[in-house]
Amino acid sequence: MIRVLLVFLALLVLGALKLPVERDLAVLHRQEHFRGVEFNLDLREKLGQLGFIAALSGFRAIVADGLFIQANVAWERTEWGRVLLLFQHVTTLQPRVVMFWDMAAWHMAWNASVAAMNDKSQPRLALRVKAQREYFALGKDFLERGIKNNPDRYNLYEALARLYKEKYKDHERAAEFYVKAAAFPDAPSYERRFSVYALSYCEGREREAYERLRQLYDKGPQERLPTLITRLKFLEEKLGIPQAQRIPDKEG
Amino acid sequence: MANDENYLTLQRVAARRSLGEGADVSTAAELMDTRHRAFSVSRIAAITVNTLTELTRLKVFYVLLVFALLLMGSSIFMVQFTFQQEFQILKDVSLGAMSIFTSLLAIVATARLIPQDIEDRTVYTILAKPVPRLEYLLGKIAGVLLLLAISTLVMSAVFVLVLYTREEAVLHATIRHMSAGPRGQLDDAIRAVHASAFSIDMVPGIVIIYLKACLLAALTMFVSTFATTNIFTIVVMAFVYFIGHMQATAREYWLQAHSSGVLTRIFLALVALFFPDLQAFNLVDDIVAATAISLGLFFKTALLGIFYTTIYTLLAAVVFYGKEL
Amino acid sequence: MTEPAIAVRGLTKIFPVPLHRQTIVAVRGLDLRVEPGEVYGLLGPNGSGKSTTLKIILGLVSPTRGRTEIFGRDSRLVESRVAVGFLPENPYFYKYLTGEETLRFFGRLCGLRGARLRERINELLDLVGLTKARRQRLGTYSKGMLQRIGLAQALIHYPRLLVLDEPTAGVDPAGSREIRDLICDLRNRGITVLLSSHLLAQAQEICDRVGILADGVMVREGRLEELIAIENQTELILENASGTLLNEIEGLAAKSNARVIDRRKSTTTLERLFLEATKKRRSTNGE
Repeated sequence: MIRVLLVFLALLVLGALKLPVERDLAVLHRQEHFRGVEFNLDLREKLGQLGFIAALSGFRAIVADGLFIQANVAWERTEWGRVLLLFQHVTTLQPRVVMFWDMAAWHMAWNASVAAMNDKSQPRLALRVKAQREYFALGKDFLERGIKNNPDRYNLYEALARLYKEKYKDHERAAEFYVKAAAFPDAPSYERRFSVYALSYCEGREREAYERLRQLYDKGPQERLPTLITRLKFLEEKLGIPQAQRIPDKEG
Repeated sequence: MANDENYLTLQRVAARRSLGEGADVSTAAELMDTRHRAFSVSRIAAITVNTLTELTRLKVFYVLLVFALLLMGSSIFMVQFTFQQEFQILKDVSLGAMSIFTSLLAIVATARLIPQDIEDRTVYTILAKPVPRLEYLLGKIAGVLLLLAISTLVMSAVFVLVLYTREEAVLHATIRHMSAGPRGQLDDAIRAVHASAFSIDMVPGIVIIYLKACLLAALTMFVSTFATTNIFTIVVMAFVYFIGHMQATAREYWLQAHSSGVLTRIFLALVALFFPDLQAFNLVDDIVAATAISLGLFFKTALLGIFYTTIYTLLAAVVFYGKEL
Repeated sequence: MTEPAIAVRGLTKIFPVPLHRQTIVAVRGLDLRVEPGEVYGLLGPNGSGKSTTLKIILGLVSPTRGRTEIFGRDSRLVESRVAVGFLPENPYFYKYLTGEETLRFFGRLCGLRGARLRERINELLDLVGLTKARRQRLGTYSKGMLQRIGLAQALIHYPRLLVLDEPTAGVDPAGSREIRDLICDLRNRGITVLLSSHLLAQAQEICDRVGILADGVMVREGRLEELIAIENQTELILENASGTLLNEIEGLAAKSNARVIDRRKSTTTLERLFLEATKKRRSTNGE
């Protein structure tokens, strides 16, 4: 009997000792972007009991993957509401997988929006445009939340830049986000170029764009891609750059 | 049956060989007497090896086989996705399976160890030798931890092999696709493939999975020392597994003074104090999503796991010492 | 007085029954001494406390009151078991191990290693007659063979004391004979033996001293011959005595205070008859 009490007491003391350690560790984990998922009633409601238990037991990633596959199926059936819902679950479960945020935004801002614009069942153009813009906003929201969860990765900044450029035609914000993406050491080489391209479309920033394009051009043949050359020539014309300083017409 | 003469001769010959001429049986016995060590690693090692042998004869390896097949199987189904998605799912399934299998193995293998010995009375023969109960216990748990280590290594090897094979296939396809284009783009594409495939950062995650299994094994051993049946141990451990994953949530609710009822607060306090936080060891999901774990954080987490394992083993020893056999 | 091999003083063991008010008193105020070099038989019906006493002596169970010692060392110390070998009742070893592996395992538990261990294993396998079966798994052994490997592991570390719990229970006559012969042989080499049994005829044959337990209390103890000797009767065994001689002796007895109670042919034992009859068969089967 005494032994039982002793063990119970030991467990209690152990518990009291480990509690602050576990707490600190959890905080540290969260700082380094681990354990960003709260297992609370909210999540349980979203996932249902089975999904919740599976996620809880260390199958979080697998549950997310399963939901992702379901979302793909829903997309093939153009069930946009379901696509949105499933991707909300997926990104809740796996906030650190940039691919999920990217795909979610893509489905909303590129696929659903187009479907809304071409919706034969809606005769009024104004309402179709409104629906389209709502999907743009949903896509933007996914990317912004994605960036909040993944501030240390370039991918979603790039995706957001592309969203501004292609959908909102807001080249200034596009340029801003391309620059952010390019700032990462592991960013692909084209980010810098894209940021300058976007800049080159901005009213009042032509001079700046021209200078930066010229800088890139001077770096060497690997940067002298067709688009770069086209934009450079366009700016040279617009700004009236003297012939002597212009780039040659034909590359050797 | 050898006759008396043979036995006598053999004894004398053996004694003489080891002790020199003129020695006899009682001297040999005295020599044995004085050689007893209070703590002996070789005794523990003998029990460890024995435990490992016993466990490998279970269906353990069939479990591993199922895992390997699961890995390969899931890869084949994924061809219609992009390689990033395919690799994502492959990694998630493999590491998730590794996590659940090691946890399951830890519980199931350990639950029957000591109760089986007691039921079969093998424990009498062992403890009638000059073996302290602590060494017996340490030998048993070491056997399980060794088994878990081997299983983790095998599963990791299979996982890396499958991933590597798929990665190579995708790389070749990519190079074929993009060989005509500019160099920069090809490099970017290759980098993207490598980034999605195996990264050395997964190794700390796998180590943490292993430590979680060790924790569960030690806890199972502790429960088995006072449990009356095997089923009881396993049911309790299933319960602990589930609650342990919720411990973090319960702990935060309890420590942040919410205006919940007294009963709720007591319940939450009990959960926070008596259950280990098992979510602290579920780091692979985020590592796979490409978050590298810092050395400091890895060591802190690993230390917590080792701490739990040690404490539960000691508690098991305390209970076992008082156990009537 | 020399140090006894086993000393039990005032031993009491009470088992609480969980969830009930009563308790079970397995052993009550037991005193016991086993001198070095003798074979002591602890006898009694099932439930008399024999097994419990043995387990307490071996430190497997702790006493409620009293104390037990082996060669002067308290049983609760691990070191006290360096000099003891134990063969439990119905021992179950790891079925998947071979005979040789079993002995190696137990040898290593006792601190034996390397060449010394190998030699010892060979010796013991030879002693108990299991050399041929050394590489077979214990799962394939007969009851007799299991008992013999059990004895081998009990002896592996050259113990000065051997504790045997029902060593011949469930063993066939031939195997039982071998075990008893071995016990006598060990005693002749100076090893003390404490055995418990409820096979009284067999115990009678090999024990020097016996103690009879009933309900946890020692009811009779002492040297075997003294205990079972019928004080006022004498046996006289004659070979080649003629009928006339026998009648004369009876006549002499009738004239004194003595009385002839019985006169008959000496008998051998059924066991000897059995073993004799089956010996040829056994040797051709190469056991």
